[in-house]
Amino acid sequence: MSTPSPRVLVVDDEQAIRHFLRVSLSSHGYDVHEATTAQEALAAVRADRPDVIILDLGLPDGDGIEVTRRLREWSQIPIIILSVREREADKIAALDAGADDYLTKPFGVGELLARVRVALRHAAPSPGQSAFVTGDLRVDLEHRLVSVGGREVQLTPTEYDLLRVLILHAGKVLTHRQLLRLVWGAPYEAETHLLRVNISNLRRRIEPDPTRPRYILTEPGVGYRLCDNPKL
Amino acid sequence: MALSGDRDRQMAREGNTAARSGKMVALGSAATWLPYVYGVALILAATLLGQGLLPFIQPSSNLVVLYLVPVVVSALYWGAGPSIITSVLSILAYRLLFVPQRLPLSLVDDYIMFLTVLIVGLVVSTLATRARDQAALARRAADQTAALYALSRDLAAAGDLDTIARAVVARISQTFACDAAVLLPRGDSLVAQAGTFEMTGDTEEAAALWALRHAQSAGWGSTVHHGAQALYLPLTTGHKVMGVLAIRRAGNDMWREDQRYLLDVFASQAAMAIERAQLAEDARQAYILEATRKMQTALLNSISHDLRTPLASITGSLTSLLDNEVRLDEGTRHDLIETARQQAERLNHLVGNLLDMTRLEAGAMQPVREPCDIQDLIGAALAQLGDRVKERQIAVDLPDDLPMVAMDFVLMTQVLVNLLDNALKYSAPQTIVDISAHLTDTSVQIDVADRGIGIPDDDLPHVFDRFYRVRHAGRVDGSGLGLSLSKGIVELHGGRLTGAHRPGGGTIFSIELPLTPTTPRLPEGQV
Repeated sequence: MSTPSPRVLVVDDEQAIRHFLRVSLSSHGYDVHEATTAQEALAAVRADRPDVIILDLGLPDGDGIEVTRRLREWSQIPIIILSVREREADKIAALDAGADDYLTKPFGVGELLARVRVALRHAAPSPGQSAFVTGDLRVDLEHRLVSVGGREVQLTPTEYDLLRVLILHAGKVLTHRQLLRLVWGAPYEAETHLLRVNISNLRRRIEPDPTRPRYILTEPGVGYRLCDNPKL
Repeated sequence: MALSGDRDRQMAREGNTAARSGKMVALGSAATWLPYVYGVALILAATLLGQGLLPFIQPSSNLVVLYLVPVVVSALYWGAGPSIITSVLSILAYRLLFVPQRLPLSLVDDYIMFLTVLIVGLVVSTLATRARDQAALARRAADQTAALYALSRDLAAAGDLDTIARAVVARISQTFACDAAVLLPRGDSLVAQAGTFEMTGDTEEAAALWALRHAQSAGWGSTVHHGAQALYLPLTTGHKVMGVLAIRRAGNDMWREDQRYLLDVFASQAAMAIERAQLAEDARQAYILEATRKMQTALLNSISHDLRTPLASITGSLTSLLDNEVRLDEGTRHDLIETARQQAERLNHLVGNLLDMTRLEAGAMQPVREPCDIQDLIGAALAQLGDRVKERQIAVDLPDDLPMVAMDFVLMTQVLVNLLDNALKYSAPQTIVDISAHLTDTSVQIDVADRGIGIPDDDLPHVFDRFYRVRHAGRVDGSGLGLSLSKGIVELHGGRLTGAHRPGGGTIFSIELPLTPTTPRLPEGQV
């Protein structure tokens, strides 16, 4: 236990939410700091140097998306949005502004803890391992080899690129726009049908049951997420 | 400018009137002297006849009878004036041409004869004039009765304000050969419900409003606001002024008394019809209001029941856990916590549906239609149902060549979640829920079928109504919002959502979405 506990900054104006987050996060070994306004949040990020920020969108003195944008000007600290806003447009706006993840209230603590772990892992320097393994799926990023249950799978170059980008952000939701930019390039940002067709084809090759995907999960209206610990 | 313009128009109008009345005088004189000419012509004819008969008739004094014909004819057809002149000329002609002793008129016979002829002429003319007047009156009365009858027949057939106003305008403009309009109060002003002319200008409006407020006629030919071009009659029903009848006559001839009387009768008929229509409309509104109120009460009851029930379970579970006097074993504690969690989820689902329903009804739900993979859609719906589908067997049957279909992915996922939720709730745990899709020429159809308890025939037409719940479903949680919301969403896409009995038992819900020509079909692996 020589490593210090990860610091989490909780930004929410609801006392009840802050309280239960403090209780549950502390009991899982996190060092919890709190802020109730956008101004406090920006100050606390400089003062407390948190490892991850849990941010509400509706703050009394401003919008969480604006806070995200201002933080991204100088910091890459992972930001998880926690909001009652369930419209896809809000989620996309937050993610495109630089948030790492988005969770709609109400939510389960288990779900939140999983997202926090993913965010912390991405923030840490990657240990340089070249193979990604989850469930039966194994992807050797160095040799561009993909296998499911030990059986090698042939992918088109585009399908492989798509899978690689998802793996590099494993556990994180990527918006349609982000995926299109990362795989096809900025001019293709609006071509969502390209993405849908390739996701569909990729699933047919790596998913045991494409109707109930285990690896590539759809976030309706927002984007896709590669699940890095599929429950069987 | 405006003043001088007004004056110009006024002068022009006066000029017109003068010109027209001049013509009338000329015509009138032509009409008045013509009977005298006819009278003289008749006397000439009688004289010629008398000359012809003179050799055969003795004494010649009997020939005076011949001159009664022009006198009686003049009296009968042209009135007292022509008959007097004809009488005088007849006697003079007779005396000069047929009596040997010529002038002077000295004999008593002469005067008696003269007086007799004159009196006959006057009596006949008086009687004839009276008869003519009475005939004219009778005809006018008949016309007016017919017009009134026609109006009341029209009004009896008219159901709404618009038809009534149009019937009144049509009858009045036809009967009186004038322009007419029915003006009804709306707020502080009067609005034409129907009319053959437009009421424009402050003067007209002031006159119309005066008539409305004072329940007396105003405007042209009355004592108030007589600068107005039209006459405004209040439409009164005895205790209430329903509106104003505007009448404008070309040339602004004065209204005869009987015409004014008839107009008043028309106005009161119209007023009663309007009142009747408004009462009927009020009654209809009251009925709708009452029905809406009842529905809202039912809705509120339903919402409050559906919101309170899960809250009651949550509160109950949590207070049991807090109760220090009872020692709960670990299993019971876990059960209570799990109940609270499930009920919170249910509450969240209900609030979500209520919000969406509100959005849908307010027209704030705008589907973003993009080509979507139906397999992905089904996958997303199953993922949202989470643990609930883990324990159940769901069979998915999709053709390989299913194209991308334009739809709002998020909204359609929600529809599918609602249909699956129903299928899972209303069927036994060991039964299979089937999801299938197939293409037609113009649409794609997605079916969700269960082997559950089915929907009774009576309930089938109502399952899409808000807060409608199948009667025997009492034991199953649900708000009765899911299906109605789903139907709304599918219809936003131009599609149809239908429910039916499934052959062999159970229920089948079908989503039918139109295929748009823009639906792209990319070959596999294309970049």
